[in-house]
Amino acid sequence: MRLKLQVHKFSLLLLSVVTLMIACQEKEYMIPNPVSQLSNDAIKRSLGPNIVGFLPMEFAYAMALPRTQGKLVSAQVEASIAGATGTFLEHRSFYTNGAGFDVPVVVGSPSVNKGNLTSVTFNVDTNAATLRYYYVVPEEARGKAVSFTFSGTSSDGKTVSYKMGPYNISKMDIKRTLAVTNNTNAYISIEDMAVYNATNAATNASKIDLVYLYRAAPAAFTHALVSPAAGAQYLPGVTLPADINRSTKLRKVFGVPDFNLVRSFGSYTSSTASGNYIDDLDFQEIDLSSSPNFAVGMRAESGVWAETADGKYRAFIFVNTVNNNGSAVISMLRYVLK
Amino acid sequence: MTNYFKLFLTFLVASVVLLACTKGDLPVDEDGLLITQRAECAVTNFELLGSDLQTVRSKAPTIDTTAQTVNVEVFFGTDLKNVYPQFSLSSDCKLEPKVPGKMDLSDLANPKVFTVVSGNRAVRKPYTLIIKYQP
Repeated sequence: MRLKLQVHKFSLLLLSVVTLMIACQEKEYMIPNPVSQLSNDAIKRSLGPNIVGFLPMEFAYAMALPRTQGKLVSAQVEASIAGATGTFLEHRSFYTNGAGFDVPVVVGSPSVNKGNLTSVTFNVDTNAATLRYYYVVPEEARGKAVSFTFSGTSSDGKTVSYKMGPYNISKMDIKRTLAVTNNTNAYISIEDMAVYNATNAATNASKIDLVYLYRAAPAAFTHALVSPAAGAQYLPGVTLPADINRSTKLRKVFGVPDFNLVRSFGSYTSSTASGNYIDDLDFQEIDLSSSPNFAVGMRAESGVWAETADGKYRAFIFVNTVNNNGSAVISMLRYVLK
Repeated sequence: MTNYFKLFLTFLVASVVLLACTKGDLPVDEDGLLITQRAECAVTNFELLGSDLQTVRSKAPTIDTTAQTVNVEVFFGTDLKNVYPQFSLSSDCKLEPKVPGKMDLSDLANPKVFTVVSGNRAVRKPYTLIIKYQP
């Protein structure tokens, strides 16, 4: 019995020592192998949906090789769908200075677009550079996916490449800062993404989806977006031009600050807008079948989801600012349903 | 010394078992909610939110616990087909029918009735939700 106890104690001691040894064993830091050849990397800098003809998609492409092996000769990007006018690859490499500002250094000649290719030829002796690429989304990419192949060549004849994407291109269109005023520029067309006065509205009667109104009374009315076909109590004192009679479904929302719609106003300080975007999926999934055809009591930073009477378009109309003299500034995202 | 330790251990185990049994004995209803001893049964507050999740009330609701009514006045132009009612109830009460989230309360001629059920599930009080537009 005593011998058994001693064996047990010994085993426990041995186990403790082994555990301690394993626990104390430090993993030595391994110095990473320095880059010994031409290498590259890329990131996408822009956020949010990729909208045709709107802000370009922005990338940063970095290339480097050891000084002993030569210098950079050229860089190029191949897009699966050629970019629209304005697409370019920076011929300047940027670094961030102590104050946090990006400082450009010219490293090559301005980029050249040839079909799907955008390229820059280096004209300085450099073995490292980060070039930015701005892809203006063309109309033919709408609703499709686009991918990019970045590549760099060095003077020792080596080439590297880096694939990015595919990225879905939105079917949305955007229009910002449309001024609306009570009784004058009050007729809104979602199809045209435009605001008309009564005369122009009459000539585009079949496209007028909403009327902007401001009424101080009743107190809950204030700024309103109302369908021409809404009840008379929602269009007080309004005489619509002939044939303007569409009924647009509307859902009032608050706290949906799409960053693209919001940021046209530099003074906007809401942190909730940053990084928030409305995307195609939002338009595809929203159900407005039970929604009314009027929205009263609109205020700054509120908005409406809208669906046109013919079911052809859905839109999100954001109220950027309101003025109680009877005017407002709105911005619009529009999605084609059919 | 060993006896004291054994005694303490026995006491500890007995306490844990006793506590565990006490909790398990409380009955639970079909919704998984605890049935308690409370008989209080009332609506204590009411809120009505629009599709923008902002209040559509033009003033505080009037809750009459004797007549069992909740009177709410809403802003002009409120879309009552798409509103989110929120009831506050006395402790341990529940509401029937359940509020699923968004509701259609646009039929003002036929006000909806919600029944408050007390914590002991013995008392049931139907409350009529009366909505009218701000004049």
